[in-house]
Order: sequence, then structure tokens, then C-alpha cells
Amino acid sequence: MSTKPKRIGQTFVSEFALEIKALSHVFGSYRVLDNINLQVLPGQIVAVVGPSGCGKSTLLRAILGTDPPTHGEILTDGTPVCGPTRNVGIVYQNYALYDFMSAERNVGFGLKMDETTMWMRFFQTRKYIAKRRGHIKKSLEFLRVVGLADACGKYPREMSGGMRQRVAVAQAFIMRPKIVLLDEPFGALDEAMREDLQIMLLRFYQENLIAKKEGRRPEYTILMVTHELNEAIYVADRVIGLSRFHTNGNQGAAIVYDRPCPIFHPDNPRDFSKFVEQREELRKAVFDEEYIKDRDKYVTFWKELGALANSVAGV
Amino acid sequence: MIRRAIPPWLFWLLAIGGVAFLLGAYEMVSARQTRINPLQSTIPSFEKLGEGLKQIFRPQGLPENPKPPMFWVDIRATLWRLFMGMGFGVAASVVVGVLMGAYRWIEAPLGPVVMFLSKVPPTAMMPIYFALVGTDQKMFTSMVALGIFFTMTQSIYQAVRQDVSDEAINKAYTLGASEFEVIYEVIWKQILPKIIDGIRLQIGPAMVFLLAAEMVVGNAGLGYQIRMQSRILNMSIVYVYLAILAFVGLIAEWGLATLRKKLCPWYVD
Repeated sequence: MSTKPKRIGQTFVSEFALEIKALSHVFGSYRVLDNINLQVLPGQIVAVVGPSGCGKSTLLRAILGTDPPTHGEILTDGTPVCGPTRNVGIVYQNYALYDFMSAERNVGFGLKMDETTMWMRFFQTRKYIAKRRGHIKKSLEFLRVVGLADACGKYPREMSGGMRQRVAVAQAFIMRPKIVLLDEPFGALDEAMREDLQIMLLRFYQENLIAKKEGRRPEYTILMVTHELNEAIYVADRVIGLSRFHTNGNQGAAIVYDRPCPIFHPDNPRDFSKFVEQREELRKAVFDEEYIKDRDKYVTFWKELGALANSVAGV
Repeated sequence: MIRRAIPPWLFWLLAIGGVAFLLGAYEMVSARQTRINPLQSTIPSFEKLGEGLKQIFRPQGLPENPKPPMFWVDIRATLWRLFMGMGFGVAASVVVGVLMGAYRWIEAPLGPVVMFLSKVPPTAMMPIYFALVGTDQKMFTSMVALGIFFTMTQSIYQAVRQDVSDEAINKAYTLGASEFEVIYEVIWKQILPKIIDGIRLQIGPAMVFLLAAEMVVGNAGLGYQIRMQSRILNMSIVYVYLAILAFVGLIAEWGLATLRKKLCPWYVD
């Protein structure tokens, strides 16, 4: 954690934004995670669901780099994760905003860390002020994106939970990390606020689709841990289920569900009928203690993606 | 009902009434004592207190060779000792407290030592200071500095552990901050109001240590003068000095509260 990684922004070198290879995690004699393998493409919004205590947060901390796995490897855009760096952004359920900064300064904090040095902040005041103006301008643009243009001068304590979470989202995305981790981001919000923020993520996904169409690398790659199945299917384009309810469950939780989800447009009304079937399948595959199956039975994302690509190509 | 609000005018009326009652009661006791013994000086009248006030502002020495007034000599000596002692004490406790809160390998060896030494009353350590650093300015400075150091280090360490979450620190790393930047830009700025509050709370104990030391070994200062004047029962000066001490405390309190408001507008008690 001692070195400051150089900004590499959106210069990608790997096909995958995130790659997890044979990850296992053990606490004492208790094996939490067993042989997790996962590849996330740039521009995907992946939801991770699972019963309480199945290791979702452990997996998230491992990807963040604060709690390295006991076995296996994690790569973000081809670079091994050795600690928390600017390659991986994080949005916590409790927002973790800096109380002493206004919304615009919270959002611009990363830019300040990235583009100025302590020396410049103390001894090259003019240069620093000019830089800061640019940062604040960019922060305002991001606050506009998350619908908070009017709250730029407010401190976290002056904002509602939903507003704070929007600031936290802007704070993470302004750095354009390879992937952003959302740790139950909407868990503490009321229903209306949750929906607003879910729609905001759907808008990010639409921007990803536009970027792909234009041949650009999509900017918003997200891995979201949630306990809300409806939310997972509504917001994500891929759902992963972590669970111990499989034939080798005593070895630890594994990915027992990995399937694509229907894509929803933010401007269309929510159509719950579209994901009822998948929600039931997910509930059975991931949460049903009685239903012990082979761990790969529902891990079909890449097969389905390949089939889809073939059908589009007319093979 | 507990904590029921009262109108502001009533609040201020009662506040002024409290002060007026204290002054009135003092005057009554003083008058009664004077009736018993017209020469008494233990509870001087307001008139005598006024004379005492004039006396401390009067130049000392002979008219052809005047020296600064007693008040100026004493307040300068005391405030300078307080400033130096608190300056060193606060600076050291901020560095050690922040490092203890930030790094487990610093917390492990220093934590028990700081906790143990914070329980030793600084005034009881006076003989050790006399032996180690003598009885001059260094002694006053080290006594105040060490007197507040252990308690303040503990409160700063607690502030770092409680007010700065792991999430805030991890997030700073993900936003590109280096370790030093996390300490200065996140930890320091988050606990700054707690540091200012800590200084406010330590001014009282620091004054106790300092006045005690001045009473024992000083040759100038508020503590020294209070002791000297009380020996000759010149209480009109002693009471005035006590009032001055109260004013110094109030001004310091107000100044630090204003500073906190100015530097940390985001902070709410």
C-alpha cells in the first residue's frame, strides 16, 4: 500500500477488466471460498448474490486488495491485485464520504491525488489552484451526471442517504477505474431512492452500449454485491450466485450460478414479468439448502454468450 | 419536564440573575465580615478589590526607575510558559497519536506505555522534573508538555481509530492517495476538530500543572503571585488574579471554538 501507482486511466491491456483465477480463501480451518474462477468483460454490470455468510464480502475485499486470498490470483486489466489501488473503485453501503469535504470536493478528491503532489499543494500554489479549478469543473460535470448539480457545495451531513450514495458513485467513477465494486450500495436507502439509483446504473449501461457501438472501450464496468434478487436482475447484465449448496459444499462456497440477465432500458417502465422466471431459478440454484447440485449446472454465461454471438453471426 | 425549552428572554434573565446573586452574596458576606473585624482582608469589599486591580496595573519600582506593572510581568511569564508547554505537548501528541492510530506496529509498543504514564498525576512528577531539567523555563515547559501529552495522545489515537473508518482509508487508496496523503488529507483533516477540542479540554489541566509549579518554584507568574499575596493575606490581589485566570480560560475557550468553526465548518458536536 505504500507506493502510489501511476495513473494509467483507460489504457487497457487485457481483454478482461477483471480476472479471478482459482481463488480460494480460508479463515483458520474454515474454507470460505473454493476455487472461484471469473472473468468480467469491460462494460459489464455483474451482480453477485448469495446467502448471508457465503463469502460475497470476502470476495469483494479480495478484489479490492484489502484482504488477499489464501490461494489463487486476481488481475484487473491484466495487472495482479496486491492492495487497494486506483485500478479498482469502491462504493460502500455506508458511503464512506469524507465529512470535511463538500460534494464537489469529495468527487474531485481522486483527481487531486492523481494530478497534484503535496509539494505542489504547499509550495506551488498558483499552479495548484489552476489545477483545482479544472478538477472542480470536472467534478461538477460528474455531479450533473448523477443528478446532483445543485448540491455541489453541500457537506455529506447536509445530504440525504441517496444523495450521498450518488456522490460516492461519482467519486468512484470520475477516476475511470478498470472496475468499480459496489458493496450493497443501495441497502440503506428507501425504495424510491433505490429505484432512482438503479436507473442511474442502467443509464451507465446504456452509455457502455453506445461506446461499444462506436468501437470505444466501455467506461463503466461494475461488480455489485446485493442481497436483492430483483435488483440484481434489473440492473445487471449478468448475475453470479455464490453458495455452499453444491456437491462439494463442505469445501467452501463456489460460483453455482452464472447467467446473463435481460437488459432493461432506463426510460422504460419496469416489467417484473420479464425476470420472474430467472428470479425463481436463482432462488432455487443459490439459496435452496435442499437443492444440492453440481456446481457447474447453472454456470453457463460464456456458453450462452458464445451461442448468442454465433446466432448473431448466423453460424 | 426534563429539557423543556424556556423562552430566550427568561434564559438571559436567569443567567444575569445568577451572576447578580453571586456578586450580591459576596458583598453581603464581605460587609458582615467587615462589621465583625473592620481590618479584615480575607473577603475584601468591591472597593478593596478595585484598589487591588489598580495596584496590579501600577508600574513597580521607584518613580525615577519604573518597572513594568506586576500584572504584565506575571501574565507574560505564565502565558509564555503555557504557550511553550502546550505547543510542544500538542505537537508531540498529534504526531504520536496519529501514528499510533494509523500503524499497529507503532500502537503495539507505545499504547501500554502511554496508557500507564497517563495515569501518573503530573504534579506528583514535579520532583523528577526538578531533578532532570532544573527549575527554569525548561522545567515549566516540560511539565506542561508532558502533563498534557499522555492524555492528549490517547484522545487523538482514539479519534483516529473511531472517526476514520477503514472504508475511508481504503477508498483513499483507490482514489490514488499515497500513504502520507492518506495521513494528511484524510486522517488529519478528519480529526482536526477533535484535536482542537482536545486542546480546549487540556488548557484547564495545563493551567493546574503550571500554577502548581509556579507556586513551588516560580519567581514570576500568576501562580507565584497568588502564593506570595496570599501569604501576606493580600486577598484583594488574589481574587483579582483568580478573576483574570477565569478570563484567560474563557478567552482561550472562545478563541479555540471560533478557530474550530472557521477551520471545520462541517463539524457538528
